[in-house]
Amino acid sequence: MIQGALAGLASGGLYATIAVCLTVMSRLARVVNFAQVAVGMFGAFSSVWLAGPGVPMWLATVIGILVGATLSGIVGLVIATWLAEADVAVRSGVTVAALLVLIALSFILFGTKPLPFTPIFRGAAFTVGTVVISQITVVLVIVAVAVAVAARLVLTRTLLGLRLRALSERPITAELLGIRSRPLSVGVWIVSGIVTTFVVEIVAPSQSNDAVALSMTVVPAAAAALLGAFRRLDLAVVGGLVLGMLDGALAQLQGLALLRYFLPFLVIVGLLLWLQRGEVWDVAR
Amino acid sequence: MSPADRRVSPTRYGVPLLVAVVGLAAGWGLSVGLPDYYVFLGTSVIVAAISLLGLGVVTGSAGMMALCQLSFAVIGAWVTSELNLVKAPGNGILWMVAGAIAAGIVGLLVGLPALRLRGVNLAVVTLGFAAAVGLAVNQYQFPGTAIGVQVFRPQPFFTDRSFFLLSVIVMVIAAVIVYALQVSRVGSGWRAVAFSERGTASAGASVRTTKLSAFAVSAALGGLSGGLVTLQVGFASASTFAPLQSLALYVLAIVNGSYLVDMAVFGGILWVAVPEILKRLGIPQDWSLVVFGVLGVQALTSRTNLGEIVRAAARRRSEVVVLEPAALDDEVPDPTPDAPVLIVQGLGVRFGNVAALDGVDLTLRAGEIIGLIGPNGAGKSTMIDALSGFLPGHTGTITLDGRDLARVSPARRARLGLRRTFQQDRVPPSLTVEAYVRFVARRRVPRPELIDLLSFLGCPAPGTRLAAVDVGTRRLVEVAAQLASRPRVLLLDEPAAGLSHEEHLALGERLARIPIRYGASVILIEHDLDLVRGVCRRILVLDFGKVLADGDRDAVLSDKAVLAAYMGETELL
Repeated sequence: MIQGALAGLASGGLYATIAVCLTVMSRLARVVNFAQVAVGMFGAFSSVWLAGPGVPMWLATVIGILVGATLSGIVGLVIATWLAEADVAVRSGVTVAALLVLIALSFILFGTKPLPFTPIFRGAAFTVGTVVISQITVVLVIVAVAVAVAARLVLTRTLLGLRLRALSERPITAELLGIRSRPLSVGVWIVSGIVTTFVVEIVAPSQSNDAVALSMTVVPAAAAALLGAFRRLDLAVVGGLVLGMLDGALAQLQGLALLRYFLPFLVIVGLLLWLQRGEVWDVAR
Repeated sequence: MSPADRRVSPTRYGVPLLVAVVGLAAGWGLSVGLPDYYVFLGTSVIVAAISLLGLGVVTGSAGMMALCQLSFAVIGAWVTSELNLVKAPGNGILWMVAGAIAAGIVGLLVGLPALRLRGVNLAVVTLGFAAAVGLAVNQYQFPGTAIGVQVFRPQPFFTDRSFFLLSVIVMVIAAVIVYALQVSRVGSGWRAVAFSERGTASAGASVRTTKLSAFAVSAALGGLSGGLVTLQVGFASASTFAPLQSLALYVLAIVNGSYLVDMAVFGGILWVAVPEILKRLGIPQDWSLVVFGVLGVQALTSRTNLGEIVRAAARRRSEVVVLEPAALDDEVPDPTPDAPVLIVQGLGVRFGNVAALDGVDLTLRAGEIIGLIGPNGAGKSTMIDALSGFLPGHTGTITLDGRDLARVSPARRARLGLRRTFQQDRVPPSLTVEAYVRFVARRRVPRPELIDLLSFLGCPAPGTRLAAVDVGTRRLVEVAAQLASRPRVLLLDEPAAGLSHEEHLALGERLARIPIRYGASVILIEHDLDLVRGVCRRILVLDFGKVLADGDRDAVLSDKAVLAAYMGETELL
């Protein structure tokens, strides 16, 4: 069980990082980005595709991250241009369509089989008793925490963060104050694309890495982000790590596979019902 | 009758049934005439169309983001396969129906969170469900597939051609049922709940039942399509129902507006034809998903869909025909204060530390119209909210016809005859005037009565789409609809907002006749004192949540304290 839980920590790091991205996107871009991991998947697949014919791994990785960033930026541009005043549901609807397009395009360009990723990190970092902690696990947990801390510092300590918060909470007021909305919000999309592609590049070699499985990682990540109600970054990280460990622990128990599959769903339903327990009506008045 | 009345003569069921018969005949013709290959494709079209029809109910009509339509198809396919494996009594058709029912029940369960969750939160839940079901199906497969047990089609639908005909019959039955629901009060409820839950409850419809019925119908249709495809192919396979396909169906439902039956069928054709054409051209079929996705983005950013575009083009330039207000020859008789209908004692509402209402007493008698006035923030709308059941945490008692209303839900209060209108626009624009009035009335309104009621308040003709009507007129339609329910008490929250001064006065003439014509007692919130003075003999003034004055209008309106609170110290009436 404990071995499983620690093995699940790698997934947990992925979930946590994506959850942080989802939280930041929800706060700054007013969107639940269903295509969050899909852009990372597409970028990572581009790297593998480039590395095949002999492009050096580091260069392929960098290009892949740029691809992910560009795709994320395009989705952001569409939303910022045509749906600037739309509600969260419609804006998020666009990301559902983007998720579909990205997975289909990856089928077309890269095939439907899992790809031969070359691991960036491999091997054990250290052992706790009899349990081996992989380098990937260590790196991902560090990345998750680092991204959360960096996001928090930018949001609370910098002028940029102040502008971003103003823009998301009072878009029209912010624009009237001279804050240029479109470049800023597209910038948020690009940065979240970079971070996501980076972690997907790290984790893909160790996961079941077909396009759908990777892209659907957005589901447990959303469950983690919900622990922080799409607002608290620290809880999003904790949620991601705990969910990953739970998943790893359940994977050890043969009879409970079904529970494992439904775990993110049950967590989502439970957390949402708790968070929204007071929301009896659709509007306050 | 004006031409406008005749144009909307009730062919609600005649034309659709005719279309259904033509559809069946066309289905038979195609089953005989099409080449073999196209017959099989045709069945696939119908499987997709049934799924889309269901998706149209939950996402199109009821406005909920549901990304798990094919997870319900999995339930249908699983039940059909399992019943086939254990050689259950009956045949494939029966098993398919059982699968649809099972899927409907699962739909109810998945829909339960929808009672608290809306919009994007619901999308997260349903995508989570789709992902979980996808993984589970990949792991466990369908009953019998591992040992190669085939699901045989029932006689006499064994061949591809006859099975296509069966599919057409199934779809026509499903389409007729969905259409009948869409034009019934249930369907109006779906559209109402998509626009406003409070408005829905105030019409006496339970938000819970409305949402869950949409989920159940949608899921049952998903389950039906799952069973049908299992019989078509002979076994169920996980790839047919992959979560990705659910997303694609959802996007397609948005693109073409599959809450419209014809567009669901057209969507089914697109679903099959686009990949087929791509295949002929030697292009990878996955491009079809890209096409759907891009069209989906287009539909979302332009806020419309194919079905509405086609209908808008086909519709004649629709000018709104307002019914000529009927002449009022009757005098308003002096009301003879009758038995109390609504008794409010010690009503108090707190928002945190603020007392929005404090110890308000009020007795409304049968046939009475009370004007409820007071400065902004005095607690007028809060009082209406408390009376209509939206603030269950209030203190004090409210009794309607001697019945204590504590812990009675807003929908139940509406059904007991305590009705209200809203200051905000709560009239769903996707309905016609007639559909909205019938939905709110919750009783059979004979057509002459409907016309009479609408012309009494100067509303648009019954067939007018509410989307084409300005907000002020929508408020009048809202009042007319609530009156059609024959309420005991009607609470009107600024019904004249958005009307011109002349229209104010005309409305006043009519409001004053509500008790005598429709038997309802009225509490009227209004800022226009001319209107209040003309309509109400009795006025209750609220200030900072307390009753400042209550009594005869002339006495109240000349009361010093009222003048000070309402008009400011220096101004005089």
